[in-house]
Amino acid sequence: MSGSLLVSVAVAVLSAVLRLRDDGELVERLQKRDPDAMAILYERYGRLTWSVILRIVRNQAVAEDLVQETFLRVWNRVAAFDRQKGALGPWVLTVARNRAIDYLRSVEGRAAESAFDLERLEHPSMFSGAPAGMLTGDWVKILRDAVERLDPNQRVLIELAYYEGLSQSEMAERLKQPLGTVKTRVRAALRILRQELGEAVA
Amino acid sequence: MTDEDLTHEEMHDLYELYALGVLDQVERDEISRHLGSGCAVCLGAVRRASMQNAGVLGILTPDSTPPGRVEARLREGVGLRARGWTWAAWAAAAACLVAMTWAGLKSWRISHELDATRQEVRRTDLELARVRAVLDVLNAPGTRAVSFGEEKQMPPRGSVFVNPQKGVVLIASRLPQLSTGWCYEMWLIPKTGAPKPAGVFWATEAGSAVHTLAGPLDVASTGAVAVTVEPGNGSPAPTSKPIIVASL
Repeated sequence: MSGSLLVSVAVAVLSAVLRLRDDGELVERLQKRDPDAMAILYERYGRLTWSVILRIVRNQAVAEDLVQETFLRVWNRVAAFDRQKGALGPWVLTVARNRAIDYLRSVEGRAAESAFDLERLEHPSMFSGAPAGMLTGDWVKILRDAVERLDPNQRVLIELAYYEGLSQSEMAERLKQPLGTVKTRVRAALRILRQELGEAVA
Repeated sequence: MTDEDLTHEEMHDLYELYALGVLDQVERDEISRHLGSGCAVCLGAVRRASMQNAGVLGILTPDSTPPGRVEARLREGVGLRARGWTWAAWAAAAACLVAMTWAGLKSWRISHELDATRQEVRRTDLELARVRAVLDVLNAPGTRAVSFGEEKQMPPRGSVFVNPQKGVVLIASRLPQLSTGWCYEMWLIPKTGAPKPAGVFWATEAGSAVHTLAGPLDVASTGAVAVTVEPGNGSPAPTSKPIIVASL
């Protein structure tokens, strides 16, 4: 093999591998049931998924099971993900959070989200158009700036919604605050996040 | 639309909660009905809220390292039981040119290194942001420092830094190790009234912790900053005696 051919082959192989950096390629491989693609998916989103689930359930053994459940659910439902549109991360994180909240609600004896609603809220089509690198790079700063604009009261409520899956009525009961106050604070917090993230997520 | 129906604007204020699955039944049902009618604007808004939620979740969540066995279990789950090759693969590999193999392996390694680097960049970004939040308070004009624990022989010890515009930073060492299912929770103790929750945190294995509460703070009406040990992910009101009290 001549030197130039070797270089061409090396460039072609390297380009092929580097294209996999894009989630579109990864989705395609997952849709073709390529088990190696699952390993890449885990490399990209495993740590974040683990962190979210552990933060919610606060139990390592349970978190291990739920990470497993999350990735297998993604594996089994990725056929509905449009590989031309967007990054996988937001969908994977949402599936992870829903699994963890579902667990939390079941052990606390709270009503679980209906399977129908859950199916609809985490359907891959809901995450069509997620910007590439949404959970990395410059996005981290935009998101952090948005979160830091929340005052302590607002942040507590947002964390109760995200990490404990509490409704506004449940928050009011937990914090022993009037429902109206909770609703006003939650609405204000979400408006801040929406304004800060507005154009970026649109 | 009846008088009791939510307006479009009211619904837009609820889409993040709807996407999180935490709306109360009545509102959830009404929004589901509305989306079921095919309102493209609202479907787009819910999609946007779903992605925003994922982003906020990513940024709010403390970084943590999964045990290696999590990946191993996952590999088994999708049939990646063995990393070794079959005889056919070996035969095919033997037939490949050495240069081709070298190029493939090299590029594969680069890919993995890129993955690791990207993860590292994310961790570094998060750490930098945390450090920046701490420095914001420490360097701001008007920041007051209050030490705690010096008079005690037993842990913990440290300092609280308070700034009316930037917030509070707690730096503590010699914190006792907590069992699984417990956390430390910081409180702002007003001169009158009930303690206000100021976020939960966990200590390192060495027993140290840095916790930041960013945002404006009414220092004049705050009598102290305290820390208690709380179950789960924290409590709305303290349930135990404070292990740290820094009087302002």
